[in-house]
Amino acid sequence: MAATADLAFEDLDDDEREAVRTLLFRLADDEYVTAERYTEWQVRAPTLESDLALANIAQDELGHARLWYDLLEDFGSEERELVWERPPEAWHHATLAELPYEEGGWADAVLRSYLYDVAEDLRLAAVEGSTYTRLRDRVETVENEEDYHLEHAQNWLERLVDADAGHDRVQAALDRLFPYALTLFAPADPEVEARIDELGLRDRTLSELRRDWLDRVVPYLESLGLDVPDPGDTDLPSAVGRDGEHTDHWNDLHEEFTRTYRDLDRQGTVRIMPDPDDT
Amino acid sequence: MDIAEVRDRAGPREFNAGDDMPEEYREAATRMIQFHANSEIMGAYLERPFVRQAPSLDRKLAFSAKVQDEIGHGQLLYRAAESLGVKTRDEMLDELANGEGKFLNCFHYPMDSWAETPMIAFFVDGAAMRRQATLKSSSWEPYAHAMDKVCFEEGFHVKHGEDILRELMNGSRKEQRMVQDAFDEWWPRIVQFFGPTDDDSTHHGFAEEVGLKQMTNDQLRSAFLNAYVPKAEQYGLEIPEYPRIEERDDGTYEVRESDLDWDEFFAIAKNDYEPGVGQIDGRARTQEAVEWVRGVLDEREQAAGTTAAAAD
Repeated sequence: MAATADLAFEDLDDDEREAVRTLLFRLADDEYVTAERYTEWQVRAPTLESDLALANIAQDELGHARLWYDLLEDFGSEERELVWERPPEAWHHATLAELPYEEGGWADAVLRSYLYDVAEDLRLAAVEGSTYTRLRDRVETVENEEDYHLEHAQNWLERLVDADAGHDRVQAALDRLFPYALTLFAPADPEVEARIDELGLRDRTLSELRRDWLDRVVPYLESLGLDVPDPGDTDLPSAVGRDGEHTDHWNDLHEEFTRTYRDLDRQGTVRIMPDPDDT
Repeated sequence: MDIAEVRDRAGPREFNAGDDMPEEYREAATRMIQFHANSEIMGAYLERPFVRQAPSLDRKLAFSAKVQDEIGHGQLLYRAAESLGVKTRDEMLDELANGEGKFLNCFHYPMDSWAETPMIAFFVDGAAMRRQATLKSSSWEPYAHAMDKVCFEEGFHVKHGEDILRELMNGSRKEQRMVQDAFDEWWPRIVQFFGPTDDDSTHHGFAEEVGLKQMTNDQLRSAFLNAYVPKAEQYGLEIPEYPRIEERDDGTYEVRESDLDWDEFFAIAKNDYEPGVGQIDGRARTQEAVEWVRGVLDEREQAAGTTAAAAD
């Protein structure tokens, strides 16, 4: 199929639908779980201003997750199945997103945001011209908000590394997070990934995105006086997330955010905001 | 300006940082606004876990936005308090962390389940709205001005709280029962929100004379009950037997004050009540954990100051 074609849900066979779903779940789950972790900083950030800024970013990411889950509803699922009743092993976010912060781990929060937001920036650029029109149509809205996220993370990193106490904490966070950041580029299933590329759903492969990401992240972090682990020598953590394999932290997090839904024996969700297609 | 002149001129938005206010006024206004700002922070502390525990994406977004708004209100109010020149924001935040800072009685209680969220998001916020609406006419202009934005946003919060209540009360029997249980527990605290009857209120007289406050505790509580007792009943909640609330001939309500636990209320007012103490300390611990970040920021600021001085 030509990469310039406009693909709608009705045009796709089962294999092709699987490719679109895989891509959308990855976008949605990364945003959702990243936001879940960010919200832990509400009322806990170092200053009222930083509290508001990160809460704002969390809010954006949740909104983006909502946009992507909404596209997944085209495939016949409801929010209840996509979020609240989906078992933990059926989530496909990278394990970078699910790691808990240590108490006072502000360096982790801003570094993780930086590592993630660069990947997000590249990934969104790669779907700007996606053949799947429903996806393509929503990319720009999301991209407009993401610029600020990167600026925020870089601004904080530059301030933190300026002092010894900050530099050491950012370095420790980098050593811990770097292998997990590489999980952002791990394939869900290599065969499905190939189908995503073939269909023109994105115009960069995962390994190209990984290379682009390293080309940006490594020189920047080195310019801040940080030692970046050699990616060639870095093994992926045992749980990469993309294939449904997660750390134990994810089970705890999943348990917490589905708690009310389960306690109230809910069997569906209530929409209180307008449908993204109507705005 | 002396106190007599302040009393004489006291009117809505009459004074601002350009006026030479007597110390007694500045201290009374600081106490009041600091209390308000602290309450925003501790309310947010109590509600934050429910961003995670909300049962739908839309509720999660709305709850997260709400907590963010509360922090924004805190920021705005600390600024209004700082404008009186008595305390800096850092001093007020330190006082909140070390247990000296006072805040609303309702935020000293724990909140454990989603069914409890409308108790704050609808009833307590609704009560706060009553008070805040009158504070738009406070004589300290920066405070009154902050209330414009606060009241505008609180209006949405109360609507959202009411919507959660409506959803739960239209839900399963289990959900309805959980909300009624929460209501039985929270109702006396909510009634106490406005403090003791005017005769027993410590700070009221002066604050009213100089126009910081516009309505008395009794007037506010009565207005709240007039609006919220019918609303509670409309959603199918039963008003607990105690505290006894009697309807006057004119259709307004009166509370039997002796039915309420004032020992508990005054222990809370002194920050001596568990679990309020735990909530104060819990927040203090998370703030202590990021002290190093504020240290880094201070260090940079000092370095920048030195450079600027050298450049001069």
